[in-house]
Amino acid sequence: MVDIVYRYSQKSCFNIRSPKKSNLALIMSADQLNYIRFWGVRGSYPAPFGSHMRVGGNTSCVELRVDDHILICDGGSGIIPLGNALMAQQDIKEVTILLTHYHWDHISGLPFFVPAFVPGWKINIYGPGESQQEIERRISGQMIDPYFPVEVETWMADIHYLKDDYSQLSYGPFEIEKFNVHHPGSTFGYRIQVHDKTIVYASDNELKFIEKAIADRSDEMSDKELQLINAMQAEELATALETIRDAHVFIHDAQYTPEDYAKKRGWGHSCFRDTANFAADANVKQLFLFHVDPNYDDTKIEGLHRAAIKLLLERHSTMDCHIAREGLILNLDKL
Amino acid sequence: MTDKMPTIVVVDDSATSISVYQFSIEPLAVNFIGFKSAFEALPYLQKHQPDLLFLDIIMPGMDGLNLLKELRNLAHQKDTPVIMITSKDYAQDRQVAKQLGAIDFLIKPLRFKEIREIVCKYVNVQPKSST
Repeated sequence: MVDIVYRYSQKSCFNIRSPKKSNLALIMSADQLNYIRFWGVRGSYPAPFGSHMRVGGNTSCVELRVDDHILICDGGSGIIPLGNALMAQQDIKEVTILLTHYHWDHISGLPFFVPAFVPGWKINIYGPGESQQEIERRISGQMIDPYFPVEVETWMADIHYLKDDYSQLSYGPFEIEKFNVHHPGSTFGYRIQVHDKTIVYASDNELKFIEKAIADRSDEMSDKELQLINAMQAEELATALETIRDAHVFIHDAQYTPEDYAKKRGWGHSCFRDTANFAADANVKQLFLFHVDPNYDDTKIEGLHRAAIKLLLERHSTMDCHIAREGLILNLDKL
Repeated sequence: MTDKMPTIVVVDDSATSISVYQFSIEPLAVNFIGFKSAFEALPYLQKHQPDLLFLDIIMPGMDGLNLLKELRNLAHQKDTPVIMITSKDYAQDRQVAKQLGAIDFLIKPLRFKEIREIVCKYVNVQPKSST
């Protein structure tokens, strides 16, 4: 009952695109493409400041559009302009929203998501919760008096809350698996397979919590205890790496600098260096540093990006490392 | 092992972590059962009430807190003593565990003797007989 068998994927590696070609794939027009688009990239709260506009100020929201099916990861303030863009087109009238959890920066855009208010639209919503009623309650709780003027009953779209039955979720061409991550409360990450591509989205995840907890107590431990505890840590890391192994696109929490992480350990977010190392260890093809701290301006985040690239060069990694910027479009067919 | 001895159940996706528990309580006269997922543990727990149940939180599939919710819906598990042992040290999780009636919330890593002391605190156990 206690044996664990590790299943290391033997998938062959795809060729890594050159930076020049990579930039060409990040085009500005999305018509007729299968793509990922970043509508909100900030963590914690919106940051609509002039000094932040190259990266963007909206909170978590990422759109995946494949074969005219739209999957939306999180409903932070970035889902508001996405909703407006959806209202400007006529072809698609259904979306599925995957929520990682219910902290404000992941749901605060939903009360302003226009398609939800319009008859004829179908909106499927999936997130942590033991029942459809619980998911609905968690979302509607932010739309009650005196916090908001209209309640969720004013949503005229056909709303479906999807229960977590612990099996794989399918939507059009998307096959979706959720996994549990290190963040306060029940919080999911998602591994999404579409065509022959793998996209992993983990907006909020503290990677190094257990390592520091072990280091803090290592002096008290006997050799036998340390041996077992280090083995346990290695086992947990191996399990986590398997979840993202060989992903073509990995979108992950990179909220803090090392200095800020030292002060904010236990807050449920990662240092960008830990994220870069973790992604490289798992043979990720393209990493997007995401959920960046709203206190960091463009200059600071671009410095952080350079530091991540330097780290990857030093470890001879061939992984592409990007800052997730609002408005960025990634052509999925060119990965 | 006999039926008269208390039964300690651990649900943790790390096989090594289960070994840590096993090693820790080896000197005690208890039945020990380890499961590496909520789904493995559920069929057993639907039929049996352990004297003490240790639950990890972050596991593939159903996490420990959701497993605890499921168990509290079973008549014979409403009062089972449950201890969360996890590397997920957040106030929100402590609150949920408390609401679900967990009697303790401990953070990994723990020493062998600490696990042993916790078992002795909540369960009437004796050292193993030397004969």
